[in-house]
Amino acid sequence: MNLTKDRFGGLLFLLVSATYGYYAADIPLLPGDKFEPFHAQTMPYWLSSLGIFFSFLLIGLKPAPPSENESISNSNLVLMLGLMAFTFAFSIALPWLGFPITTSIFLASSYWLLGERRLKMLLFASVPFALVFWLLLTEVLDVYIAPARFIFW
Amino acid sequence: MFEGVFTGLSTALMPFNIMMVVVGCFAGTFIGMLPGLGPISAVALMIPITYTLDPSSGIILMAGVYYGAVFGGSTSSILINAPGCASTLVTTFDGYPLAQKNQAGKALALAAYSSFCGGTVGAIILIFAAPALASVSLSFQSSDYFALMVLGLTSVAAFSGKGQVIKAMMMTVFGLMIATVGNDVITGAPRYTFGQMDLVDGISFLLLAMATFALAEVMMTIMRGKMFSTSETMQPVALSSMKLSLDEVKEVAPTIARSSVFGFIVGVLPGAGATIASFLAYGLERNLAPERLRKMFGKGALRGLAAPESANNAASTGSFVPLLTLGIPGSGTTAIMLGALIAYGIQPGPRLYVDHPDVFWSVIISMYFGNLVLLVLNLPLIPYISRLLAIPPQILNPLIIFFSIIGVYLVSFNTFDIQMMVFITLIAVGLKMLDFPMAPMLLGFILGGMLEKNLSRALVVSDGSFDFLWNRPLTFSIMCITLIILLLPWLLNLGRRLGTRLLSAAD
Repeated sequence: MNLTKDRFGGLLFLLVSATYGYYAADIPLLPGDKFEPFHAQTMPYWLSSLGIFFSFLLIGLKPAPPSENESISNSNLVLMLGLMAFTFAFSIALPWLGFPITTSIFLASSYWLLGERRLKMLLFASVPFALVFWLLLTEVLDVYIAPARFIFW
Repeated sequence: MFEGVFTGLSTALMPFNIMMVVVGCFAGTFIGMLPGLGPISAVALMIPITYTLDPSSGIILMAGVYYGAVFGGSTSSILINAPGCASTLVTTFDGYPLAQKNQAGKALALAAYSSFCGGTVGAIILIFAAPALASVSLSFQSSDYFALMVLGLTSVAAFSGKGQVIKAMMMTVFGLMIATVGNDVITGAPRYTFGQMDLVDGISFLLLAMATFALAEVMMTIMRGKMFSTSETMQPVALSSMKLSLDEVKEVAPTIARSSVFGFIVGVLPGAGATIASFLAYGLERNLAPERLRKMFGKGALRGLAAPESANNAASTGSFVPLLTLGIPGSGTTAIMLGALIAYGIQPGPRLYVDHPDVFWSVIISMYFGNLVLLVLNLPLIPYISRLLAIPPQILNPLIIFFSIIGVYLVSFNTFDIQMMVFITLIAVGLKMLDFPMAPMLLGFILGGMLEKNLSRALVVSDGSFDFLWNRPLTFSIMCITLIILLLPWLLNLGRRLGTRLLSAAD
């Protein structure tokens, strides 16, 4: 039996369903709930069983013909992971550096990562955009955005 | 009913709401034009904006975006052979060949007229069909609702394409699993929160929709190396005259009428949606066409363009019927709208017609306005809107990512949500690479809470027995339909195999 894309997906889902079912036992029940026809653990147990059933079905069935082959190069994978890392860093930096600075850095570094090397473009498409967007939120739409924590140091 | 129509008309005709339709159509057209971003992503991107509006205006904006995105998808299908979404894939069959024959303007005009007619026919039928179904569904009980939700979830999976049924079912289960995260709606017991306070309220629908559609779609496009490279291909296409001759109008008129009614009916079926409607309408027209015209299909046939365009718009309207009357979304896009309505505190379903007639009717009326806006304003402006796509992809993509994450952040002001988005996006990208469809997961997630509540009520009423599934005729009928829909692909496949075997035996 070859480990096709489908079977790999099936195995992965089997693992997820089994883990989900295992943790269903940790859901606290109210006294007497065990004797009720439906309680907080019921749905998770059924879903886990259904998930395991479908996983075995996918693993056991004849694999479907592969879909259109989309070649994904390593460099594009790195780009994607880089952007995700920048997004994660944005969430960490936002409370500390504040909205305008974090947004400017996030946008400029993302433009750079995707291949923009012109300094003027990097600056003009990030800093004024972040400032205008921030002013629009705080002054026009009256949305409260917490100031940067480092200001209070 | 007419009182309701007038209420809807007065709400939809408010200057602010008219502006929402126009803005929605423009924004939708622009987003829909970007290959990879379809109506689901377009509507998801609009949700944070709609949270600041009242329910009627918010849902009107989303309906406008929905139509605009479908129209934008058709535009990119015709001009650059890159469908913005699955439902406009069939448009490329004859739309792009027409553009290559230097008739891009005519193709765009025909697509707009067909969409307008499809939307108009759909809206008219909706005006009569929705209240009728809503009054019938007032007598529904929890067991019927449970059966209807199972039907909705199963149909989405069953119609997801060859070799995808089991995967779609798995994704539905996955969505239902995610819906159980957070405090249990019935007992309040924490489930799968792992001690994290941020998970007590469960995973936000907006976060999930943005991560799995908007953000994951952008990431997939970057990974495929396409990076929305429309700016280079968009330039050379020159739009010719947008006029249609009288003979051409006569040729496509019956096609548009047939496909509109057909598309609406297919759209009403939960899970079927605009994509299936457009494929079926195209096939139907090709079979009905005389031999001379049949040969033209795929080479720039006007009928081949008019059929899917009117069908997909009528189906988009039709998909609002189960959403507004039963509270069950018929497609991924209406699933997002359902989530947005629930966030407003409005529960779509039979009570919507009674409790919020302004929302119910203004959505229906604004759909017609949306079609009108697309025809009168968007069509002449297509050459200018398409110029916006000249923004370099390395600038456009980070901006889309920024709007996705900031949209979620501005609702909760919690940076944990952005981190959660990154995590879910990575899972979604992995699942997409393994060819797992995302729409069933979102539908499962949105319907999960309601499904559990109705199942629990039905089980309590029947004292823990599952006999409610066959004791009540309505529930039983819906479950039978579910079973037929689920088994249909296998039965058809079996029939085809048997037919082939019999033919080979006869030879």
